[in-house]
Amino acid sequence: MKLLLVEDDQTTADYILQGLREEGHVVDHLTNGRAALGQATTGDYEVLILDRMLPGLDGLSLLRALRAARVTVPVLFLTAMDGVDDRIEGLQAGADDYLVKPFAFGELSARVAALARRPQMQAEETVLTAGDLRMDLIRRRVTRAGQEIDLLPREFALLEHLLRRKGRVQTRTMLLEAVWDISFDPQTNVVETHISRLRAKVDKPFDRELIRTVRGAGYRIED
Amino acid sequence: MFRTLLRSTPVRQALGLVAVAGLVNLLTLGLAYLQIRDGIEDTLHANLAQNMAGFRIAATPAAIAALVRAEAEVADPAARVFVYIWPNGRTTGNAEARLDPDGLSILPRPGGRPLSAAGYLPQVERIAGGVLIVAESRAPLAELSRTFLRLLIFSLAPTVLISLGAGVLLARRSARRVARIEATLDQLGAGDLSARLPVPDREDDDFARIGRGVNRMAAAQESSVAALRQVSADIAHDLRTPMQRIAVLLSDLRERLPPDAPETAIAARARDEAERAVAVFRALLQIAQIEGGNTRARFAPVDLAALARTFAELYDPTAEEAGHRLLPDLPDTPVMVLGDRTLLGQALANLIENALRHTAPGPITISVGTDAGTATLTVRDTGPGIPPDERDKVLRRLYRLERSRTTPGHGLGLSLVAAIAELHSAELALDDAEPGLRVSLRLPLYST
Repeated sequence: MKLLLVEDDQTTADYILQGLREEGHVVDHLTNGRAALGQATTGDYEVLILDRMLPGLDGLSLLRALRAARVTVPVLFLTAMDGVDDRIEGLQAGADDYLVKPFAFGELSARVAALARRPQMQAEETVLTAGDLRMDLIRRRVTRAGQEIDLLPREFALLEHLLRRKGRVQTRTMLLEAVWDISFDPQTNVVETHISRLRAKVDKPFDRELIRTVRGAGYRIED
Repeated sequence: MFRTLLRSTPVRQALGLVAVAGLVNLLTLGLAYLQIRDGIEDTLHANLAQNMAGFRIAATPAAIAALVRAEAEVADPAARVFVYIWPNGRTTGNAEARLDPDGLSILPRPGGRPLSAAGYLPQVERIAGGVLIVAESRAPLAELSRTFLRLLIFSLAPTVLISLGAGVLLARRSARRVARIEATLDQLGAGDLSARLPVPDREDDDFARIGRGVNRMAAAQESSVAALRQVSADIAHDLRTPMQRIAVLLSDLRERLPPDAPETAIAARARDEAERAVAVFRALLQIAQIEGGNTRARFAPVDLAALARTFAELYDPTAEEAGHRLLPDLPDTPVMVLGDRTLLGQALANLIENALRHTAPGPITISVGTDAGTATLTVRDTGPGIPPDERDKVLRRLYRLERSRTTPGHGLGLSLVAAIAELHSAELALDDAEPGLRVSLRLPLYST
């Protein structure tokens, strides 16, 4: 994937660059907002990662300028401020996702992957599968190896979210936002317990584990 | 009303002044009265002596009787009495007189003119075998007493009334100013450090000076509290970033160590501690941000019942695993309030987490109810609760930080709830659920 990182803080930039390059991405790095505006409009990037505080042109203005110029590339906004106000301001300016600094690299990686593949998501699907697991969205039935699995509504929503993003890591905060519409991270491991309940029904009775834990990042469902 | 007036200092001072003025008045009038009375008595005595002297030249009772008769012809007995008692007991004069062992008595003559009601000042002398009585009416003295009494009334009554009236007026004026000062001090005492006393610049009496002093004190207090908050927010902000990096690095380190090496467990423990510190910083920053208060502009209608249902459901498996039971008691109809959904959710999450973390396994009730225009969100546990005298304190500004360090179980979580409640102008109450703690958040219902 070809990515553009606009970040003036060297420590943070090194941390992100190293991680993304280790994952095999091609990453361009700029430190100035004004320079980034030109680069982002001409370069063919799959995802932009923008810091909010930048010399030259700050991240918010840069983002507004890009959207005004009809540059539709997905943008992940980085900020050191974790206020709800800032989050909303960023999303209103046209950001597709939002991450509060500092963050675990796994979180960034998962969100970048989610953004890049978002447009290819198919909304028409009525049956989702992973290995021998089958979810019928119309009848709201889940079977594995032909065996019916009885899920609570929220467990169904959680499994559906993972299935729709098969193969991609979903972090705890991403799951909280998508399944419960909660945009803060509770101190207790509430997501873990929901996942383990889901596993008890979906994976435990069978020989192969479909829902995988990705250390330091989140969860992923695989074929 | 009267009793409160009596308690006010200016009225007491006015009454004191009235007493002093009255006393001085009384003393002056009294002295003047005595002086004038003595003068009049002296004149009366002189008149008596002079009259008596005129009779001494007569040598026989008949001659004296003739003189007395002549005087009595022209003298009004109401002013002056002349009586001669003959040696044989007969009387001549403009009145009757009797000399008994117990004293002299003067009576009106039958068919004669009336006597003075004020009594007489008499002089009695034995002349030529008989008794001559000359008496001056005491009327001038009585008149003097009446005059002085009138003087006393006319001078004292206005003094008393005017000073009393002025005292009451002053008292009410100062009572109002005292009440304003008291109200401001109460507000300051209740934690509203922005309270100020209105003091016009041109005023410079003692109340104005006290008022300015109160305002200066409040301003100093307010700025030092603000500075303290700013400093703690700055510290939290500056320390959070490196601390979070440490947590991330420790996490990396743990990933790279072999799973069963003893170093792995140490790295995991270090990471957990670092994450705890990050959580504290985050909570401190969030409290500071909420207290900043500009999130209020983004308030929107929130369904409290639906929100509580989401959280009850979210925490249900976690609670069950810890041996607790989450019992939602929620209405099926929406309970709309105006607020910030994320923050209200966070308050609820903190209350549930507090109950989960710090009470022995047992039921935890989450309920939403409505009553007369207000919505109430309640989380109730069956744990040890908070002693009554501590309840107010754990919610008090600044105090709570101090408190939360020493009260295990109700740490920054509750402080954050208090800040969120304040942002929403909600009433936060902690009571004894007998047993357990009941925390309730009351906020006005939103109506379209």
